[in-house]
This record gives sequence, structure tokens and C-alpha cells, in this order.
Amino acid sequence: MSRAPHSPLFAREMGLPARFTLYTLLCLALMAVDARYNALAFLRLGIATVLHPIQNGLTRPFLYLDDALEFFTVHGAMLRENRELKEAQIAAKTDTQTLSSLRMENAELRALLGLERPSGYTSRAAEIIRVLPDPFNRQVLLDRGTRHGIEAGLPVADAQGLVGQVTRVFPLGSEVTLLTSRGQAAPVQALRTGLRLIVSGLGQDRMLEVRFLDMHADLQAGDVLVTSGLDGIYPPGIPVARVLNVQPPKDTPFARAVCEPISQVGAHRHVMVLRRDREQP
Amino acid sequence: MKPRNPARLMQRGPELIAPAGLRLIAGSLLAAVLLSLLPWPRAGLWLVPEFPLMVLLYWNTHEPRRTPLRLAFGLGLLADVGHGVLFGIHALAYLAASFLALMVQRRLANFGPYGQALQLAPIFLGMKLLIVLLGLAMTQGVADWRQLAGGLVAALLWLPMCLLLNRLAGRPDEPPSPGS
Repeated sequence: MSRAPHSPLFAREMGLPARFTLYTLLCLALMAVDARYNALAFLRLGIATVLHPIQNGLTRPFLYLDDALEFFTVHGAMLRENRELKEAQIAAKTDTQTLSSLRMENAELRALLGLERPSGYTSRAAEIIRVLPDPFNRQVLLDRGTRHGIEAGLPVADAQGLVGQVTRVFPLGSEVTLLTSRGQAAPVQALRTGLRLIVSGLGQDRMLEVRFLDMHADLQAGDVLVTSGLDGIYPPGIPVARVLNVQPPKDTPFARAVCEPISQVGAHRHVMVLRRDREQP
Repeated sequence: MKPRNPARLMQRGPELIAPAGLRLIAGSLLAAVLLSLLPWPRAGLWLVPEFPLMVLLYWNTHEPRRTPLRLAFGLGLLADVGHGVLFGIHALAYLAASFLALMVQRRLANFGPYGQALQLAPIFLGMKLLIVLLGLAMTQGVADWRQLAGGLVAALLWLPMCLLLNRLAGRPDEPPSPGS
């Protein structure tokens, strides 16, 4: 019988199936250790530190190409946008006027109640350089890391609303888990009624849900949900989702509301990482 | 311990092919890793095949002695970090695919690119399935079954990749005729 080309040249070497079994066990151990104990962060950090500059370099040409294409955006689209913006500005102006009066009133009321002013947050802009291809988690890679003061756990928002939370940081980059990924949740409050809820991701791009909603809760399609700030992680008042419909309870004692996230992760390249000011207690 | 000489010298005839250089093997693997790190559009992510694995299986078929299992393991770990998933998921999938390819290496080497693509398709598919199942088991998420399409894309892309690497390695596209 002729020797298979992959069989060891010397008897001291292990055969292919034996080596495969050993490596498989090693892989399973790695998975268990990484899933349960987070003990391999240093290894991931090391590899990621090498990979991220490469990824960044690979992404740049495409970003420049995007910019160049954007430059040639149709004139009409710009005009339309301009008109819409003007209208929005007029609407906003009237809003601002009421807002300033409301703000004064609010400050007075707060002083009256002796409550603490909600602590301030500073925001740090970051650019999305890559969408991570993991089908189980919705994650994006930002170009800012521990070097720029990013920490794991910080909330991330874009100009419209809440995007998600930083889950892993590296020196020159960080991974953000989007609110739409399954298992992510944020405490929110309905703007209209002040009802406190928890909105959670479904693992789909443009969909969130409120599970275990009280059958008689006053929640309607079109209601806007903003963060309540009760968890101490997300600052209060960031728009999160708009209710699409409320489904009455079927087999369970609870109703369920399907919502649409307000943030536009797919449309923008820049997000803000929010960071609580240090001087606040 | 470079096992190039004795076995090679015994062969005679026109089908004697010079072994590919280590630089070509390393270079093609590096290119495949870079290809996998490109910013693929989000909508088409499920179609993107595992480029490093394709190149690895090519070298597994043609230079089994120079692509040991630990290479599959290392590339898999790299893919795990690149994909942002748990350590070991891609490593295990790469290992399994490489192991199967090495087990049937003799058979694969006797086929042209078309036959190889047909025979490797189940390996690519099974490897994607393994990744999805491991992800399901470890993270309790919902599976995106469209991911399996990436395996088929890998089998389709096997042909152009084979032709390209054959040119680079100075290897004929058709295998040496049997019975010599």
C-alpha cells in the first residue's frame, strides 16, 4: 500500500486524524473560554491591533470613492434637500422659541424641586469603518478606540437617535453592538404619555419591539420612545424608536408593540459616542 | 525537514511539476486574508465566501506537505477576529474543511478545476453550516440561513481562482494523465 501524501514522514509525528482531533478540542476549549470567561481579550487585542490599521487602510480608498461619487450627486436632489431643510428650519425656529421658554420654566421648576440637573454628556464623533459580518450580532467597527477615550459600555447615537453601545474596545478601534441586534435592550419612555418601557432588538435591521406590554397600556402607533436614563448607561431623552403598531395579546397575557428605530445606521457614516462628564458626581 | 527531494526524484516523465514556492503560498494566502477584510457592502455580506479557506484548500490539494493543519487553525483564528465572533468558531470550521480536503487529497488532485469545484462544494457548504450551527449554539441568536449561499459562491469562484493560481504556480490546468 502506498503512503498517503499527508501521512507523517517520520513515526514520531502524529497522524492527520489525531492532529485534527487535538486541534478540534483546542477550538472547543477556546470557544468555551471565550464565551464564559472573556479570558482571551489580550489575544484578541493583539490580533486586532495588527488588523485594524490594515482594515482602515483597505477601507480608505472606498471611502474616498464614496466621497467622489457624492460630489457628483444630482443637482436636483440637492435643491430638494435644500428646500426641505428650509422648511424644517422654519418649523424648528418656532420650536426653538417654545423650547427656550420651556427650558426657563423647567429650570425654575427644577430649582423649586431641588432636583439635580441631569449630568452633562460630551460626545465624540467616530466613523464607521466596517460592518462586521457576524450574522448573530449586528455590530459595526468604529475608528476610535481607547486612545481617544472610548470605553466599553458607552452609548452611541447618531444625529437622529440611539444607535447602540460600545461592546469591545481596542487601542485604535471599537466594536459597537447595534440596538437592533437580538438581546440588546434599552429602557425608554413614551414621549406622549411618559409610560416607561423596555425596547429590545429583534435581530432585524429596521425593527425593534416592546415585549411584555401591559394589555391596557396607553401606547399607539406613531408614539415616539426616548431613552429614560433610568439605567445610568443611556442619557435620558435620546429618541430611540417610533411605534409602528401594537399587537393585542394572543396566547400570552401581554401585548407586544413593534417599533421602528429612529437612528439611521445604514445611511450615515458618522456616529457620536456619548461620554458622561467626569466632574459630575 | 523539507520533504521535497526523495519522493519527487522517483517520478519520471513530463508530468513532473516543480513544487510551488513558499513565497507564492504565503503571498496568495495573505492576499486572500486582505480580500476578506475589504469593506463588503452590508446587503451582500451573506454572499461573501471565505477567501482564505478557498486558497488554503487549493494549496491543500496541490501542496499538502506545505499546508499543515496548524495553518488552517491560524487562519481560522484570524478570521474569528476579523468577523468579531468568538474565538474558535472559524478556526474549527477551517480545520474541519482542511482536514476533509487533506483526507481526499489524492482523489482531488486527479481532477481538473471543474471536478474539484463539484467535489469541494459540499465541503464549503458544510463549513458554512458548521459556522452557523456553532454560532447558534454559542450565542443563542437567530441563524441567517442565507449564509449558506456563501459556500456555493466559494465553489463557483473555485474555478477562476484555480486558473489564476495555476498560472502563477506554472501548473497545467488538467491533472497529469493517470497510469504513467
